[in-house]
Amino acid sequence: MTVANEPHSRAVSARLWGVQKSYGPVRVLDIPELEIYAGEVTGVVGENGAGKSTLIGTLSGSVYPDSGEIEIGGVPLAVGSTGSAAHRGVALVSQEFPLVGQLSVAENMLLGRRPRVSKRRVLVDYRAQRAEAAAMLKEVGLSPKQVSVNRQVRTLPVPTRQMLEIAKAWGREPTLLILDEPTSSLGPVEAKMVLGLARTLADRGGAVLFIGHRLDEVRAVSDRVLVLRNGRLVADLQPAEASEERLIREMVGAEFARSGAKAKPDHARVLFKAEGLTADGLGPVDIELQAGEILGVAGLMGSGRSRLIHTVAGAQPATGGSMELAGRSYWPRGPADGTAAGIALIPEDRKQQALVLFAPIHSNVTVSILRKLASKGILTPKRERNAAKKITADVKVRMQSVDQPVGSLSGGNQQRVVFGRAFATEPKLLLLDEPTRGVDVGAKAEIYELIDRAARQGMGVLVASSELEELLWMCHRIVVMNQGLVVDVIDREDATKERIMTAAAGSGPRATGALA
Amino acid sequence: MTAQTTLEPSPQRAESRAKSMVTGVLRTLASSPEAGVVTACVLVFVCIGLAAPNYTHVGNLQVMGRDLAQIGILAIGESVVILTGGIDLSVGGLAGLAGILAAWLNVHEKLSAPVSIVLTLLICAAVGFWHGAMVTKLGVPPFIITLVTFTMSQGLALAITTGTPINDISPLFSRISSFHVGNVPLPAVIFVAIAIVAWFVLERTYIGRQVYAVGGNAEASRLAGIPVARRKTGAYVASAMLAGIVGILIIGRMNVADPSIGSSGFELTAIAAAVIGGVALTGGEGRILGIAAGAVLLEFITNGLLALRVSPYDQQMVQGGVLGVAVLADRLRARRFGAQRRQ
Repeated sequence: MTVANEPHSRAVSARLWGVQKSYGPVRVLDIPELEIYAGEVTGVVGENGAGKSTLIGTLSGSVYPDSGEIEIGGVPLAVGSTGSAAHRGVALVSQEFPLVGQLSVAENMLLGRRPRVSKRRVLVDYRAQRAEAAAMLKEVGLSPKQVSVNRQVRTLPVPTRQMLEIAKAWGREPTLLILDEPTSSLGPVEAKMVLGLARTLADRGGAVLFIGHRLDEVRAVSDRVLVLRNGRLVADLQPAEASEERLIREMVGAEFARSGAKAKPDHARVLFKAEGLTADGLGPVDIELQAGEILGVAGLMGSGRSRLIHTVAGAQPATGGSMELAGRSYWPRGPADGTAAGIALIPEDRKQQALVLFAPIHSNVTVSILRKLASKGILTPKRERNAAKKITADVKVRMQSVDQPVGSLSGGNQQRVVFGRAFATEPKLLLLDEPTRGVDVGAKAEIYELIDRAARQGMGVLVASSELEELLWMCHRIVVMNQGLVVDVIDREDATKERIMTAAAGSGPRATGALA
Repeated sequence: MTAQTTLEPSPQRAESRAKSMVTGVLRTLASSPEAGVVTACVLVFVCIGLAAPNYTHVGNLQVMGRDLAQIGILAIGESVVILTGGIDLSVGGLAGLAGILAAWLNVHEKLSAPVSIVLTLLICAAVGFWHGAMVTKLGVPPFIITLVTFTMSQGLALAITTGTPINDISPLFSRISSFHVGNVPLPAVIFVAIAIVAWFVLERTYIGRQVYAVGGNAEASRLAGIPVARRKTGAYVASAMLAGIVGILIIGRMNVADPSIGSSGFELTAIAAAVIGGVALTGGEGRILGIAAGAVLLEFITNGLLALRVSPYDQQMVQGGVLGVAVLADRLRARRFGAQRRQ
């Protein structure tokens, strides 16, 4: 696919020539030529590892390219310098939220600079700082009532922090605003707000680079969509050409075949039952799960989706009600009780909560079954490695040897290691929280396959996800949560996005008293 | 908006506004870790003072003032490093070495006392710069590089002196340490002055706020254009120079430079004072008021045990126990009043 470059009269905001970057032998970015135009929202999509982050990094100065030149507004950028990029009007909203949790909102908003109106050079002008921070928040639609500028940032919920990041970038009056998956942690209202801001900046003549993971969003907001694959620019599309299928095809490089779950729930066997289950911010909730069934949990951010999963796993204390697992009463006092009862939790954050990245694959997959592997309490490296080989073969981890560090595997393969470890404990109930967050399109399909396999083997699967398509595609039933309560239970045949969203975003069960 | 006038951001603010002013103030106090230490200081002082009348005599207070200067100045330097997310294990050893260096320059190199002091402090600054460079340029863990200096400085002190104390140092050293401003020993005055300067820099200047930012989130600071390496290096230089000052105060007090000073465990006392005062070992959190109060509390207790004639064999045990209680009380306070601290 060639990069279509019909002669434009549009002003160029950023221009890249021959920009290359390799990490070790892997070339992660190779852009011979790219122009980003002022007055446009340029969408960028690609799988994980396609080079999106590296592209953003080179533009914002946090990544030092091996070769190439970058111009912002016609002036060459000193590559690899965040200061130079910021000076040229590049503002980046990253996914990492570079905020200092211990400091106040106001100090974070003006981190690394002084208030504009302040005359003081050395002493901090707190009054001017607070005033300017409040004004910046107002620009992105956050009133002082919602977020006080004196609040410590770490006491704020994640979506608010994302909005702070956006306000921070917006406050620098950027000529090139880079948004890196800005809506992935936002509710629908804030997401709409952010897309609106992108549009506003483009209409004012600024350039916006919008890195998106929700394809519908990228298509809706962009004037032009770029697709990256393996560090190369493989497509440069007009919105009209950028259908979802086309984008996915360009991203993956081949047809992406979808097929629904094959597992059949065993309607006769109730595997897990919760009655009147309550916990902090949850319930009372009644759910029932059959063996071999994949039950999805949908809901907006803060609806109690993750809380339900964590309460069942024992990671969050339940405060009332009762639970039953495989016919026996189940009341975990901690995650260890959950594991002992036959529950495996695959947490949301693979890198933080599931894996020791620098440790070899074999120690990562066997960590949950060491007691079983040890003979009379003593482990032998050989037994451990043999078990690891069996487990990794079982879930088809692509690797050179079980001795290589887990961190050297791709995201999808890391996720396989996590699944392998969970399967090795032979659980009855598999709990998943956002199983595909941060995983590319190809790896997603593999994860769906693994989940389906778990169900075919007779496990019950409870999976919470913010991606509706994912739930619609793999679940037998979907429960929708809102304000800590189950507001709807939908069978696969009747499930539509609209029905789920209506229940999830409804005025709330507390108001209407509705209970499914 | 009364809340606007307080600097310390507090999550309790929203609720407290509705309640009476008094409850609001009390809550704010209770949610700040500094209040607990200050209260503890007052309680300990009053209790021991009542139990042992000698404790509050001017003479004993002066002794405490001089001791406090040593722990307190080290604690401030140590805290600045911890605020940037590092740790400085070298302060005790370096203080010992600084005393030896100053004495040696004075006695064996025949340099005048002021010149010896200035030279010693410059050497300390160089050591701090070395720490900063190793940490920021080569990524050496602060724990390791300062442990190297700790060991090296003890060794150097022994090598320079071959184990024998240096006598006949200039009388200026002892005059500094025994001079009184009114009834207050000069070292205590120096401590208070350093505390005020440190407070002002950390709370009121951009550089100080950047120190907190660097410790709270180094990556965020880097992306915001804060000179992270410079702030960290600055902290190590400050810590090393303050250790130098303490070393000079100590030889003045003893009127002799003893090579064993560096192995008295000052660094751990300094870290303890910082932590009691609310400094988070993860960085980015803690205020000078608390740090100073932490040092005062430790001194009140150490000296109090002497005043109460606790057997020297039991003193350390009591000290450890008190530390444990202090930390426990702080955790309970934090849980009760919800200020999410030190995760």
